[in-house]
Amino acid sequence: MALVEFRQVRKEFIDRNKQPFTAVAGSDFVIQDKEFVVFVGPSGCGKTTSLRMIAGLERQTSGDIIIGDRIVNDLHPKDRDIAMVFQDYALYPHMTIRENLSFGLRNLKKPKEYIEQKVREASAILGLEKMLERKPRELSGGQRQRVALGRAIVRDPQVFLFDEPLSNLDAKLRIQMRVELSELHKRLGATIVYVTHDQVEAMTLGERIVVMNQGVIQQIASPTELYANPKNMFVAGFIGSPPMNFINARVEQGRIVVDGGSFGLPENIAERLSAYSGKEVVLGIRPEDIYGEDFAPGVSTEHRLQAHIQVVEHLGSENLIYFHVGGRMVTAKVHPETKGYTGLAKEFILDLRKCHFFDPATQERITGK
Amino acid sequence: MQRTIAPKRRRAAGRFWREYGWAYLFILAPVLLFLVFTLYPVISALIMSFQQYNIMQSTWVGLDNYERLFKDDTFWKSVWNTVVFTVCTVPVNIILTFVLAHFIYQMKTKWQTFFKATMYLPAVASGVTISIVWLAIFDPTDVGLLNRFLGLFGLDPVIWLGQSKTALFSLILMNWLGSHGAGIILYLASMGGIPKSLYEAADIDHASGWTRFRAITWPLLKPTTLYLLVTGVITSFQVFISVYMMTQGGPNFATTTIAYLIYQTAFKFYEFGLASAQSFVLAFLIILVSVIQFKYFSSDVEY
Ligand SMILES: Nc1ncnc2c1ncn2[C@@H]1O[C@H](COP(=O)(O)OP(=O)(O)OP(=O)(O)O)[C@@H](O)[C@H]1O
Ligand SMILES: [Mg+2]
Repeated sequence: MALVEFRQVRKEFIDRNKQPFTAVAGSDFVIQDKEFVVFVGPSGCGKTTSLRMIAGLERQTSGDIIIGDRIVNDLHPKDRDIAMVFQDYALYPHMTIRENLSFGLRNLKKPKEYIEQKVREASAILGLEKMLERKPRELSGGQRQRVALGRAIVRDPQVFLFDEPLSNLDAKLRIQMRVELSELHKRLGATIVYVTHDQVEAMTLGERIVVMNQGVIQQIASPTELYANPKNMFVAGFIGSPPMNFINARVEQGRIVVDGGSFGLPENIAERLSAYSGKEVVLGIRPEDIYGEDFAPGVSTEHRLQAHIQVVEHLGSENLIYFHVGGRMVTAKVHPETKGYTGLAKEFILDLRKCHFFDPATQERITGK
Repeated sequence: MQRTIAPKRRRAAGRFWREYGWAYLFILAPVLLFLVFTLYPVISALIMSFQQYNIMQSTWVGLDNYERLFKDDTFWKSVWNTVVFTVCTVPVNIILTFVLAHFIYQMKTKWQTFFKATMYLPAVASGVTISIVWLAIFDPTDVGLLNRFLGLFGLDPVIWLGQSKTALFSLILMNWLGSHGAGIILYLASMGGIPKSLYEAADIDHASGWTRFRAITWPLLKPTTLYLLVTGVITSFQVFISVYMMTQGGPNFATTTIAYLIYQTAFKFYEFGLASAQSFVLAFLIILVSVIQFKYFSSDVEY
């Protein structure tokens, strides 16, 4: 069942010089019931704006927003049956945790026993039982975060909206809360729309991910699909860490020529690139699909590339080797036993079965269709 | 041994003065001002309050002044007037200030600036000037501004300041319509300090307009309200200029406030000892009321 739907939703802000500025440009998407959807993209790409339009805190300039089976364009936030967790938590500083949690239900004039039971349930799920009489300022960041979650949970809304809820936490707590959020999603069977600029968070939490850039949705897909088949160079470069390498290349008579090597193309790829014969393309390859020639188990060693190593970073479980190809920096994520030091001229092996080609003009992935 | 220690100590002292001497010199100026113009008068007034004071020669009379004071009906009348004046003005002023600030806060920045300036303007004018304007407003004949206004509704002119029934009320009215600029600016600043996301959270939490006010705005503005309350009460306990300018405490002591009574006792009847005693009672009252206010209102101030 579709739960949240955007139809050609646009949002323009009028800036100081009275110029319209497009924060969200014609978004179209459908979020299913019980789905965990993550909006991800660089700062200022319109994620928060999209979320706030779902919540009704911001009115879209044009287009329709549908929640459940209603068009909610002009519905007040309180009538949309949503709950939101704000980036700064927005806990009421003068109320105790219990009052914070029950505020929404009290406004709805729910019976006292019902409210008490809800608060008890939520605080049990989130481990807040011992803090109910405290004020927000007496809690740690992670605990406040959980109160903010609790305030949403007690309401049993159709949709949960999260705006970068983990960004104020330290790395360790963030990972812990990530796990807790995942579990919470399963336990509550809730629909969650989650905004983050952290692609790792997006990949670990999202069942589907909406990648945005400059107000435009780039791709909507599952994490594995995004990783394996990015639609364009932006998505390819944004998802994955370290990001995908882009190498300038040319297609010549069924071969692909790069600075430092040229490869015969596998049949399926050659077919895809048929329209680009004699033209420039961008070869995209992930760091983990590049191997040192001395340690490439199970990989066909036919696609070789000669380069001078710039820097080697030892991360323990793997090494990152940086080198230049055709003026672009390339990163290889290799096995720690791979030999390498600054200045060494080394042969690298590219696993071309896993590479992508992009049109340098449109930045779209070449699919050959 | 002795010989080696002594110069060392002297050197340490020298270094201390070189490093901190200037600091003490700078502190000295305000401390001296305080001693001469605050502490000394307070102490000498305290002493004076136990004396039958005379320029030439004062006699120690113990608690006589205080005894006279507590038996004096006029004094109690002035306490009553002061309390009535305070109770009628301070809460009303705070509400007025709050409402004005609330409306100004909703406006565009340009209008906000305009209203902040206009509302603050009366604070720049001296109390004397304002009182003179109000004398014209309260003019008892039918050419008086207020009376002319009443005339529009066919009402008879009122002798605003000249009869016991209306005199104190007139001063209160004048105070209501007086300067709220400082309070408005304080409120506006604190309103701006409440995070917007709290209201958005409240919107999502089904809060009505009234609930937003009751559950968020009001509690978060409480520190400002407390400040305005305490300073308002202190100022109001000392109300003097408008009484002096408009009614001279009359008619029949109907507007005699404590501060005005002190002035009268000292500079009309030259009873400096008694006036000092009255001052100390006033000071004690102010401290008492302030402490009570802090105790009852600050306990749940947050943020
Ligand atoms: N109230 C506003 N008035 C004018 N411009 C705004 C307003 N809110 C957002 N914008 C602009 O809209 C664009 C999108 O903002 P938005 O807050 O949605 O970004 P975001 O993707 O959430 O970024 P971040 O990761 O930094 O939170 C930004 O360029 C921002 O400057
Ligand atoms: Mg944001």
